[in-house]
Amino acid sequence: MSEGDGGRLPSTVRRVLEPFVDRTVAERVLISIAAILLSIGVGFVIVLVSGRVAQCSTAAWTMPVTGLGFCYDPVQVYVVLFNGALGYPFAVGEPAVFNPAWTPFNLSFGLTLSETTLLIFTGLSVAVAFRAGLFNIGTQGQLVVGALATALTVLALAPLLPAGPIAGVALVAVGTLAGAVGGGLWGAIPGALKAYTDANEVITTIMLNFVAANVAYVLVLEVFRAEGSSVVATRYVPDHAQFRPWLFPASSDFALLALLVGVGFIGGLYYLLEHTTFGYDLRTSGVQAAAAEYGGVNAKLTTVRAMTLSGALGGVGGAVWVLMSEGRWIESVPDLGFDGITVSILAGNNPLGVLPAAFLFGLLKGGALEIGFRTDVPTELVGVLRGLIILFVAMPEFFRMAGRYVGLGSDGPGGPEAAEPDDGSGGGGDAVGNGGDDAVGNGGDDAVGIGGDDVGGDAVGIGGGETDA
Amino acid sequence: MNPAVHLDGITKRFPGVVANDDVDLEIARGSVHALLGENGAGKTTLMNVLYGLYQPTEGTVVVDGEPRSFASPRDAIDAGIGMIHQHFMLVDPMTVWENVVLGNEPRTWGGLRVDEAAAREAVVELSERYGFDVDPDARIADASVGVQQRVEILKALYRGADVLIMDEPTAVLTPQEVEELYDVFEELTDQGKTIIFISHKLGEALSAADEITVLRDGVNVGTVASADVTREDLARMMVGREVLMEPATTPREPGDRVLEVTDLHVEDDRGVEAVSGVSFELREGEVLGIAGVDGNGQLQLAEAVTGMREPSSGSIVYLGESMAGASRREHIDRGMAFVPEDRHERGLVMSYDLIQNGILGSQHDPPFASGGRIDWEASADHAESVIEAYDVRPPNPDASAESFSGGNQQKFIVGREFERDPTLVVATHPTRGVDIGSTEFLHDRLLELRAEGKAVLLISSKLDEVQGLSDRLAVIHEGEFSGVVDPATVTEEEIGLLMAGETLDGEGVSGAAIHDAVGDGLGEGSSDDTDGTRGTGSDRETTADEGVDA
Repeated sequence: MSEGDGGRLPSTVRRVLEPFVDRTVAERVLISIAAILLSIGVGFVIVLVSGRVAQCSTAAWTMPVTGLGFCYDPVQVYVVLFNGALGYPFAVGEPAVFNPAWTPFNLSFGLTLSETTLLIFTGLSVAVAFRAGLFNIGTQGQLVVGALATALTVLALAPLLPAGPIAGVALVAVGTLAGAVGGGLWGAIPGALKAYTDANEVITTIMLNFVAANVAYVLVLEVFRAEGSSVVATRYVPDHAQFRPWLFPASSDFALLALLVGVGFIGGLYYLLEHTTFGYDLRTSGVQAAAAEYGGVNAKLTTVRAMTLSGALGGVGGAVWVLMSEGRWIESVPDLGFDGITVSILAGNNPLGVLPAAFLFGLLKGGALEIGFRTDVPTELVGVLRGLIILFVAMPEFFRMAGRYVGLGSDGPGGPEAAEPDDGSGGGGDAVGNGGDDAVGNGGDDAVGIGGDDVGGDAVGIGGGETDA
Repeated sequence: MNPAVHLDGITKRFPGVVANDDVDLEIARGSVHALLGENGAGKTTLMNVLYGLYQPTEGTVVVDGEPRSFASPRDAIDAGIGMIHQHFMLVDPMTVWENVVLGNEPRTWGGLRVDEAAAREAVVELSERYGFDVDPDARIADASVGVQQRVEILKALYRGADVLIMDEPTAVLTPQEVEELYDVFEELTDQGKTIIFISHKLGEALSAADEITVLRDGVNVGTVASADVTREDLARMMVGREVLMEPATTPREPGDRVLEVTDLHVEDDRGVEAVSGVSFELREGEVLGIAGVDGNGQLQLAEAVTGMREPSSGSIVYLGESMAGASRREHIDRGMAFVPEDRHERGLVMSYDLIQNGILGSQHDPPFASGGRIDWEASADHAESVIEAYDVRPPNPDASAESFSGGNQQKFIVGREFERDPTLVVATHPTRGVDIGSTEFLHDRLLELRAEGKAVLLISSKLDEVQGLSDRLAVIHEGEFSGVVDPATVTEEEIGLLMAGETLDGEGVSGAAIHDAVGDGLGEGSSDDTDGTRGTGSDRETTADEGVDA
């Protein structure tokens, strides 16, 4: 079946895709770094052109020889982006000089790590579903439900315990657990719908996002709203029931403990996927459902379990958002669940990759805030630069998946053995069999209006289970 | 006179693999040339080079004395080379003549309209010239596989092919259809056409070809005239050593009843009934062979027995217990091994390495797992032992399944399933795509399992395989057993007739005997089986019948 597929491809397409297909992990890391550098190069040009078009009283940068003035200085933009996200380890204006007064425990770096921490959980949530062959767009809704469950549980229990460190530990633990349960149950719904009624999880999770957001909003508005609050929000949970901002300034909304919990979850999930029978069943269902069935895996149960686990991880993200960032449930829930999709894709749906991917997002978030403080560059332009970086990093992964989809690489017709006639009717396998769902997912994303920088990444997500460990 | 085709020093390399190594090949005009070799020997790659699907790394393709460079099959077709793939590329709802002209239709109205009359006329003329028995107005969906193959040949001829490459042309045919194909070969060569066909079947090459070229590991081992060689010579050339041609079965007393299937009906994925009332039973130490052309319900039968597909009616009793509603896992846990037909979809997870594939099905069981945790070291040991015992090459357990050749993938699956310590082995096409040397080993191993008292349900489209290994041989046609015969005495022609859905006349007595043998003790007769008859009785058959009746 696969015979000749590669041969029928236009040679240009093959030439473009082929180099990306069979790459080792180390090569993929190098490609990612090269992609970041390339995106900076393109961003340079965009900043220059925008700076030429924009109007300003004094030029931020003047081109030598020609004397042309530009409103924005691209070097400054990128230096501030990365330097600022870390809290200026290099002196402002003198990027070659190490700043002796710098400590990692500063506000900007705290903001960066806060975003990183939250995205670890949502990224893991999307990744685990993806590994089971499920495209969970519903992490956002699971996070909203989990966050509300956490806030209400902690608010209900806090008066019962005397304030103190022991109560704090207990409340944080129980609150996080409540988030996991809430998110898990919310995730189990589309899982069960998929398993027992064959309802496409992309559609159901998107719809459940709206349901979650609106039900939570109405509940808080009508029942749990803090008295005298001008926004729709619950009361604040007591301070002792929140993650403590060790070392970092409290205003950074970051707690080192929460990051460590996230890293622990990464390790735990990696172990679960790679070293347990549950993980084996889940991954096998994801890459090749027919083989999983042959191997005695209960497909329906695995689907429900995977979506429950995915939802629980999103719910923990919601718990950390309440207990670390906001201190309460508030209507303006950031798009952490949607960003988690892109994080997961950048990570190749591998739990270990979620950490650097989430950190890249954190850097871009923290850096963007700094650019707003320090330069005249409009936030829209900063958004473009962030999007470029993500797009460039995601694109090689996209080519890799696309290349495998059309049958290039070691399992494709390129191998002489695969082209032998006796191979029978087997094709490329189920790893690529999800095409239909995914096309839907892609359209769906755009329809629900995920932030601009997500679009490139989401397109990438779509090619089927990611298998490299 | 120039040879029709001359491949001059063709080398084709893929990353990490040399598929063809400096192959020289001359094909005389008007001859039938067989390209013989084991799976992975590079036969198809070489022909894909000739057909323009691949560009050679080194070497030249010379057609009719003229060096050519084909960028695509289009160029090859223009040079008079046609290829007929194993899987036909025909449009089912369209008629024969429509399929033949598709893409090269004669046109009228300045190219706006297909000139149907002229097109049909051209197809009729072509098929008459070569003596093809083809109705130009028949729909492809209604045509037999043999006819479809002739339509493919007509397609190539219509496009002006002088050299026809056929990839495993007999794989999908009944023995009778194979004979008809040989007649077609003769007709074509009489009229100056040249035929190259790919095969790994010795007998086929010997009876159909004028000349035979044997490829081994991508190298041309030699080109011989088929009149001058024996099967043994060819086998030696293919494998590089002496091989035993016939597996040695010894009659054996079957033991306790392992599997009892009664009036089984199974639907395929489209909801069409694929198995229509099959009954049989299988005992310890017995091999029941099921022969038939692919697609006559074997797949669904095997899947129903192994718990992968819910039967629509009928019963399956395994070790005295009904398996109705049992999950696939319960089937595995109760000692059923299954070599599935589709190794890419089911038998292997293509992106997993062999260590991970080695525990597929056993991922919950010791020694590979305890307490929900997988012991990857034990799994690696297991994969290595299967690789070693079943000669999987290259012997690298860390390589992904997709990087192995089809034959080696198959060896690994069979090894994994055979070494599961099963009570019942259901093996569909266990040696498909496997080379002669390894086939011999797999056959021996299967007979060892039989000697150990395992029950084996062997489904294969290779007649010599099911005939040589089975204690009893059932022939399946359109979901029903058209006959249950004694493999020791039945002839290939008789099996061929049964495979085509015919009955064997004049032996009504033994037909009744079969019915009794199958139906006895099951409570209800299986009327579908009554038309199954058998050639002649024999000692061995009697033994088997006694076992069944006991």
